[in-house]
Amino acid sequence: MTFWEFLADRLDRLLIQIICAAAVAFFLWATGTQPGVLVILCLALLLVFFAVQLSDFLRQRARLRELESILEGLDQKYLFAECLPPARTLYEKRLIDLSRRAGRAMTEAVSDARAGQREYREYVEQWVHEIKTPITAARLICRETDGAVRRRLTGELGRIEENVERALFYARAESPERDCVIRQTGLDGIVTRAVGDHRALLIQRGVRVETAGLDCCVYTDEKWAAFILGQLLQNAARYRGAEPVISISARPLGKQVRLTVADNGIGIPAHELPRVFDRGFTGSNGRTRGGATGIGLYLCKKLAGFLELGLEISSEEGKGTAVTLTFPTKEAL
Amino acid sequence: MRRAMWTIMIVEDDPAIREELTLLLGNEGYRTAVVTDFFEVPQQVLRAAPDLILMDLGLPGRDGAALCADIRRISRAPVIFVTSRDSAADELRALSLGGDDYITKPYNIPVLLARIKAVLRRSGALAEPDTLEAGGLKLHLTRGTAWAGGRSVELTRNELKILSHLMAHAGKIVSRADLIDALWDSQIYIDDNTLSVNMTRLRAKLEEIGLPGLIKTRRGMGYQL
Repeated sequence: MTFWEFLADRLDRLLIQIICAAAVAFFLWATGTQPGVLVILCLALLLVFFAVQLSDFLRQRARLRELESILEGLDQKYLFAECLPPARTLYEKRLIDLSRRAGRAMTEAVSDARAGQREYREYVEQWVHEIKTPITAARLICRETDGAVRRRLTGELGRIEENVERALFYARAESPERDCVIRQTGLDGIVTRAVGDHRALLIQRGVRVETAGLDCCVYTDEKWAAFILGQLLQNAARYRGAEPVISISARPLGKQVRLTVADNGIGIPAHELPRVFDRGFTGSNGRTRGGATGIGLYLCKKLAGFLELGLEISSEEGKGTAVTLTFPTKEAL
Repeated sequence: MRRAMWTIMIVEDDPAIREELTLLLGNEGYRTAVVTDFFEVPQQVLRAAPDLILMDLGLPGRDGAALCADIRRISRAPVIFVTSRDSAADELRALSLGGDDYITKPYNIPVLLARIKAVLRRSGALAEPDTLEAGGLKLHLTRGTAWAGGRSVELTRNELKILSHLMAHAGKIVSRADLIDALWDSQIYIDDNTLSVNMTRLRAKLEEIGLPGLIKTRRGMGYQL
């Protein structure tokens, strides 16, 4: 707020004051007061007016700055009204009361929404755990059917599991701090876990898995990292070419380890590459091959963000895709 | 594969899984004891005297973990927890309560069987047969040699695994995918080509000891001993 803005805001009041002063001056002049006295009187009056306005302006500006700094310092800005200093004037008091009431309504709405979200998350987690029992039963029952049917059914069950797992991690990603434990972990352990989880898929699709240089330690959550890696393996197995090979290799780089999952699959068109991490994005590959959800890589990006992992993708159509995860090795988190 | 009967106790509240596990473990040559009434499980453990307990953590009424603590007091049978919960906290709790292993649903069946075997072996209950015999061939597992008609040949790790898997299912057709599944290790990942290479070498070695054509190829279905 500048002084001119302040004056412009009070223009009506100022005009009335000037008109009143002019009327009084005219009256005094008409009743015989000397013009010299009138001039002194008017100047004195103007000076007083000006001083009052200036002091008002300075006070208001200081007050506004104080309030702004309070708002700046707040994490949850909607709690502003609760953190205000005592009111200085009656008008200010009423305004603060009003904004407090509005703020409380907002706080309630926010906490209702949070509770709803938490409940929903808990329900999804519980649901995922419930659904795993019938999937397990179905897997066991599958054993009794003969070869080809069993393999096909097992494959479909595998797809159900992949989707269920994604739903679980999607729900968990809403409040990652509850489940995410960052500690020193062997990179080979993460890879073993991810590949083990997808062994049926990889065997069924005839994918050769090659690993190199995985004997190093990183700081991350093993389960979450294995989930991210699993998504990459699923993609590599789904968008495979002839004689599919997935190579998982790690390379230390300063205080980081770069884990690269490279395949020799069908690749991603260059113009689609920048969007693969977008939620719900299924590229031309996903559309032609079907079964793409547009969630896998989005979730990878989100979870990698929580784990502070770098996630980069490069691809050449017809040649393959390489995704690189960058893990921190020192506890620099 | 004939082995002495080891008893595995299944503590699981889902009837479908209970039945199927009983069938599966029965086929694998284990005797099973099933808990259907979740009161006084420790007493049932005492009565069945199992060599291993497969326990679901999400039981009705009492918590599987607390139950495990009770069982620990009266029985030394190893416990493998089976659970559908895989949060870090659940995992930690299960292992801190004296479980010998922890496996999450839905489990891969070969993995489950391998874990059972590993725990039994660790607890000393399982003394696996060191030799397998089928079709005039004798396989020495720890030495990694195959014997037939007085002649012997040394096998590599993969060849040994292929042959022992085929011999364990002698007479049955074993598909390539099943063989790969059996060979697939947590560290070494076998693919189709590796299997073909290993199979060729294995057949050559069997021919050396006078058993050509022991492993028959069933076109489109797999292999048969």
